[in-house]
Amino acid sequence: MNRLKTDLRKAAGIIIATAGLVVAWAVAAAALGKPFLPSPASSFAALWRLAAQGNLGIHAAASASRVVWALAASFVPAAALGLAAGRSRRIDLFVSPIVYILHPLPKVAFLPIILLVFGLGEASKVILVGLIVFSQILVSARDSARRVPEQLIDSVRSLGASRLDLALRVVVPSALPDLLTSLRVSLGTAVAVLFLAETFATETGLGYMIVDAWARVAYPEMYAAIIALSFLGLGFFIAIDFAERLLCPWRPYRT
Amino acid sequence: MVELRELAVDYPAGSANLRGHGRVKAVAGASAVFPSGGISAIVGPSGCGKTSLVHAIAGLLVPASGTALIDGQSVHGIRARTSVIFQDYGLLPWRSVEANAELPLVIAGLKREDRRKRVRPLLEELGLSAFRDFYPSRLSGGMKQRVAIARALAAEPDLLLMDEPFSSLDALTREAAQEFLLEIRRARPLTILVVTHSIEEAVYLAESVFVMGGRNPGSIRARFDIPENRAARRFSAEAPLPGPPWPDFRAEPRYLQLCAAIRAALRDAGPIDDAGDSR
Repeated sequence: MNRLKTDLRKAAGIIIATAGLVVAWAVAAAALGKPFLPSPASSFAALWRLAAQGNLGIHAAASASRVVWALAASFVPAAALGLAAGRSRRIDLFVSPIVYILHPLPKVAFLPIILLVFGLGEASKVILVGLIVFSQILVSARDSARRVPEQLIDSVRSLGASRLDLALRVVVPSALPDLLTSLRVSLGTAVAVLFLAETFATETGLGYMIVDAWARVAYPEMYAAIIALSFLGLGFFIAIDFAERLLCPWRPYRT
Repeated sequence: MVELRELAVDYPAGSANLRGHGRVKAVAGASAVFPSGGISAIVGPSGCGKTSLVHAIAGLLVPASGTALIDGQSVHGIRARTSVIFQDYGLLPWRSVEANAELPLVIAGLKREDRRKRVRPLLEELGLSAFRDFYPSRLSGGMKQRVAIARALAAEPDLLLMDEPFSSLDALTREAAQEFLLEIRRARPLTILVVTHSIEEAVYLAESVFVMGGRNPGSIRARFDIPENRAARRFSAEAPLPGPPWPDFRAEPRYLQLCAAIRAALRDAGPIDDAGDSR
């Protein structure tokens, strides 16, 4: 269980996967020879150029902050409501039907309504992404809370634990790994929806960059922004892995 | 002293339906007296309501009728000086050995230093000091059980309820654990109630063995007293320590006779196989 070794192996995995993708891309670009699929070299050159200008940083920061706000605003209430529903039939009676009706709907369909209610500013984008994350976290929090072994609850209850003790010392830590997994899963959707949210009524964000470059037929720049978006997602995944290691040190570390 | 008066326990039938009206009887008309400071055992086949009985004494569930009395007080909810050790030990995987052991003190709101003052000597006594920072997943079954015992003792109980405490241990570890329990009792005054399906274990540990039988509801059908295992005889300061030159009780004819008698009583008490057991 050598942590450094595992980390190195993980980093090597990421590098090899990236290299594989870039090679496939290079072959496809060379074979096609069309402007809409520029070579990786020119795309990375564009990425470098945009980064040097400082533009990329501004747009990436705008996108990152939207995702962070959306996650921050939705994770805690969704987890709390989901865990409560998983432990209390009375709460579940109300929460589950609502979730079952709303969860399968593409939240993007609410975009016009969100825009009407919350305006064209930041709030709408954060709310759209937040909504997506919300229902995913809620469902897995509820199911995870249901799986807490009854014997564990009984044994802690026998020590004189209050309901709050049980919630904070048994249900939350027991569900935490599942919550982080659901966060990982919903993060992918969140970044995808973020792109959509950034394609209108804004002039910041990687989504805007992509659409803007597309409109200017600046394909290398468009791909540069796509690469940046993928790095943004990767950064979030690494952050969640790191959080899991900090928050769930009892879990046997996967090698 | 723990006393059961016509205790009956039931639970909702079919946990799947939300407002199930029917209730299944787990235990009915259980009456017994468990002597203070001694070890008592309840033996019975799976599904006879042993665990329900323990839950009722622990205050984890409200009896359908009758009462459980501890020192003359009827049990209402969790009692601070009753500790329970469950079959799978009930340790929290995300807490280290020490953090698990001090959990009752955390819940009671004790300060960190006070918790340490109580828990560290216990860990030392139970041979767990070296494993203080381990998570339970890294411990063997026998060690996990010691942690469960440490946690139970941290609350400074006068009554220790053990639900099938040794059933997941292999035979040799199990015997060591039984000796260990006797040692723990020798070191402090404690009333212990062990629920087990092992006749041999009950006869070795307990001064009173209660035989449960029947199913839905089960009840206490017979009582066997084993004067050889009386607390006054075994745990007083003058009592000889076990081991040579004193003969092992388990090697004596009397021990085997008792086992045979209890086995016969169990057979009379009702079906033993767990066919048709809904749980």
